[in-house]
Amino acid sequence: MRIPIIAAILLALCAPLTGCKRSLHTQDVIEFVDKADDAARKRFAPEICGLRGENFTLSVNFQGHEERYPPSKFEMNRKLFCKEAGKFSRLRQYKLERKSMDIDLADDRRTATVKTEYVETMPYYEPDVMPATPDDFREWQIVETRDESVVGFESGDLVFLSTKSDSVQTLTAKGEITLPYD
Amino acid sequence: MRALAGPAMMLVIAGGYLVYHLSSKEDAPSRDFTELEFAGADYQHTGSCYSLSTVLVTNRFFSDATRSWSSPREGAWTLALDSIVQGNGGPTQIAQKFTFEKDGDQVRLASVEASERLPTDLKTNVDALLESPRALRSTPVERCQKEGATGYLFVAPRR
Repeated sequence: MRIPIIAAILLALCAPLTGCKRSLHTQDVIEFVDKADDAARKRFAPEICGLRGENFTLSVNFQGHEERYPPSKFEMNRKLFCKEAGKFSRLRQYKLERKSMDIDLADDRRTATVKTEYVETMPYYEPDVMPATPDDFREWQIVETRDESVVGFESGDLVFLSTKSDSVQTLTAKGEITLPYD
Repeated sequence: MRALAGPAMMLVIAGGYLVYHLSSKEDAPSRDFTELEFAGADYQHTGSCYSLSTVLVTNRFFSDATRSWSSPREGAWTLALDSIVQGNGGPTQIAQKFTFEKDGDQVRLASVEASERLPTDLKTNVDALLESPRALRSTPVERCQKEGATGYLFVAPRR
């Protein structure tokens, strides 16, 4: 009677270790990126953040709509990334479309490099204007992004370890696009 | 022996939790440090009448930045603030590092590092840090709670 209980305890204790030994398959990565995209569409920061590793970094290269300004280049750690994800929830209209995805598994199958292309559409709030309502904007911003991410296991779960992001922003008149509130 | 197995297991779990809790806790200065009076930017380092914790808490109301503490040396703490702001050229990162140093009964701003175009001189930063507690009429330190008490940029209101 006692042996099955001890075996169950040992199995439970070993479970996290077996997670570390898992090898990665293309299907795992596809499902993971789908999950991450869904979290982004919901704009739910805890879920977005939970899919990033403890030492996650995001390198951003962002060309704003005004080409006379050079692109913004900076790096965010996980803490700052999660704080920004929180601001994301203020948006009431948002569309994320994934245009392509290319997965390259590492030889040891512990990590994978994922190259994705996205188009995001959301309201453009001018930097120095405080919107009174979510509808208080005159243009949409369309952000085309090419991401290169490394995904891998951390404590048994698949997470983004790092992302390099190249984005270009364009603006279009509010009347040109209709996006539902969600 | 079997009677001790349960408590022993609980002890191991509690010990593990304690080790995890202590090792994962972020660094931060003690209350003894943050309750010291923040010094003004004048030559005499006149006390500002506000504790460092009051200065930090009131400034937090106006900031979206992430905060992390580190101690560069004994008696000194560095507060790193990072935030992203929307500019005309897209999002931009703003980083600031304030190093505070204990000096007697006061804590002084010892140095400031900041992103381009942000001020790093001590007087400008001390004055900026003191704007929030003054605007919010925060509670001053005990010595400044008496009628007519004065401090750096501070005069206690007459009752």
